[in-house]
Amino acid sequence: MFQQTIALIIIAFFLARLFWQKQKKQIGAGEFIFWLVFWLLAAIAMICLKWIDKLVAGLGFSAMGIEVLLYIAVAILFYFIFRLRLRLEKIEKDITKIVREISFNIKK
Amino acid sequence: MKCALIFLYRYLSIGILDCMSQDLKTFCIIPAYNEEKTIVEVINSVKPLVDQVVVVDDGSGDKTFELAKAQDVAVLHHIINRGQGAALKTGTEYALKHSADIIVHFDADGQFLANDIKSVVKPIKKGEAEVVFGSRFLSKESNVPFSKKYLIMPLAKLINKIFSGIKLTDPQSGFRAISAYAARQINWQQDRMAHCSEILFAVSRADLKIKEVPITVIYHNFGQKFADGFRILKDLFMARLIN
Repeated sequence: MFQQTIALIIIAFFLARLFWQKQKKQIGAGEFIFWLVFWLLAAIAMICLKWIDKLVAGLGFSAMGIEVLLYIAVAILFYFIFRLRLRLEKIEKDITKIVREISFNIKK
Repeated sequence: MKCALIFLYRYLSIGILDCMSQDLKTFCIIPAYNEEKTIVEVINSVKPLVDQVVVVDDGSGDKTFELAKAQDVAVLHHIINRGQGAALKTGTEYALKHSADIIVHFDADGQFLANDIKSVVKPIKKGEAEVVFGSRFLSKESNVPFSKKYLIMPLAKLINKIFSGIKLTDPQSGFRAISAYAARQINWQQDRMAHCSEILFAVSRADLKIKEVPITVIYHNFGQKFADGFRILKDLFMARLIN
């Protein structure tokens, strides 16, 4: 119960920060919705931890619900790193295009 | 219908190339990054053999750009380093904009012999090929390092054979000549060293006529290492995902 309360306080901190960033227009609407859904799901998972334990056991996993959540979180993190990598590659290509255009303009 | 038109265009252009081989404008693209020691010598050795030399200074930190500019050749300048593949593409686009008929890719480090340009360009002038690759392994004179010859290259050959279906003796050679038609078909995206393989794949996809001719390479340093091979594979894999 104590650990759940700590986790919920941390989530509440990030949610407050998210609303503050939105108010200051530091993030777009799409990004705000994404992180809002993400932290709300995290909060629900924390509140329903016992139910998740039952669900995980029912699915045949030997691990506890919180461990399964951790595995899922790691998988999601890997996916984000991959997406970030793709985004970086695209930015690299765009930089090359800009550098190329500048080189043609300098030559003129 | 589209295929028939492409076929007609290609073979008419080869035919025209054959008839007008004496008037074909040959551009030599030399990508250069920190090559102040060799750039002047390379430009002067290449200049008498082609109609236009295009040096692409790839954000060098030394005097490569200034030295090249003083040689009365076209010099393009990348304000930051983008890699050999990017510099070659910049030079190739410039050549196409300036009505080049044949484009030669040449290195600035002085490892290639300028006289080999004649043999690389010849099959295109005669209409025998649209892309000509220079091969270090068809010539007995190249002093290719042992591990490169017997370990790195066989692996590179195998990978390129699997993905492109083209069997070349030297798939990683940077010395090549391409017709203007072929240059328009080959749209490589790789900025760094993976461009060699990407060009090969594009040549295979576009079903262009290719030929390999022997060239001599004088090694001053080892060049691409085994780790670079893995980097090339990673870059090609990422490119597949993005595209």
